[in-house]
Amino acid sequence: MSFHEKSAWVMGLIMIAGMAFYFRTVAAMSEGLEQLAPPVLPLVVVYIVVIVVLSIIGHIVIAVSRPSEADDMMDERDKLVAARAGNIAGLVLGIGLISALGGYLINYDGNQLFHAAFGVLMVSQIAEYAARIVYYRAEV
Amino acid sequence: MAKRPPITNRVKELREAHGAMSQAALGEAIGVTRQTIIAIEQGRYSPSLESAFRISRVFGVGLEDVFGWAGD
Repeated sequence: MSFHEKSAWVMGLIMIAGMAFYFRTVAAMSEGLEQLAPPVLPLVVVYIVVIVVLSIIGHIVIAVSRPSEADDMMDERDKLVAARAGNIAGLVLGIGLISALGGYLINYDGNQLFHAAFGVLMVSQIAEYAARIVYYRAEV
Repeated sequence: MAKRPPITNRVKELREAHGAMSQAALGEAIGVTRQTIIAIEQGRYSPSLESAFRISRVFGVGLEDVFGWAGD
């Protein structure tokens, strides 16, 4: 498994964990408020910091496990895989954002729009890493 | 999902004929990773024209001695 494929696994798992953390926190806050909790800056900041820190730790672990591949540049296959996976992520992001905006037009709930848009960003990233893994394992 | 590329190759055979050149060494010679050489050998990836030329030049043979079209 190449460094870039391991990186996709690590980032995908971190993004799933981050998404679970964010929405579990929002759900817990909403329970207390008895309505959908508004977006709060500290939660978003904590989410971003945790993602950044975990991704740095994850990449250090990958690099240490196989130092010879740690400085591998993206070759032509890596770039093709990244481009195709990015295409899928863009599609997911576009459809998700249109759905989120459609939801706003029906409910006029700004809090829901924020959480939906933020969630769609997370899902599109997860889709990108999942697509990379699939392309690395199948034919490109 | 993309279908398996219809291009066959003799990279593994040529590599073994050239003093059992390693996949990593071939990858380094043409500027790709070992995993990409593995994918080419397994028919999971068709290299760019530039890399195909580079591979054939490493082995000192023509392009068509390395790559072919499935079914030909």
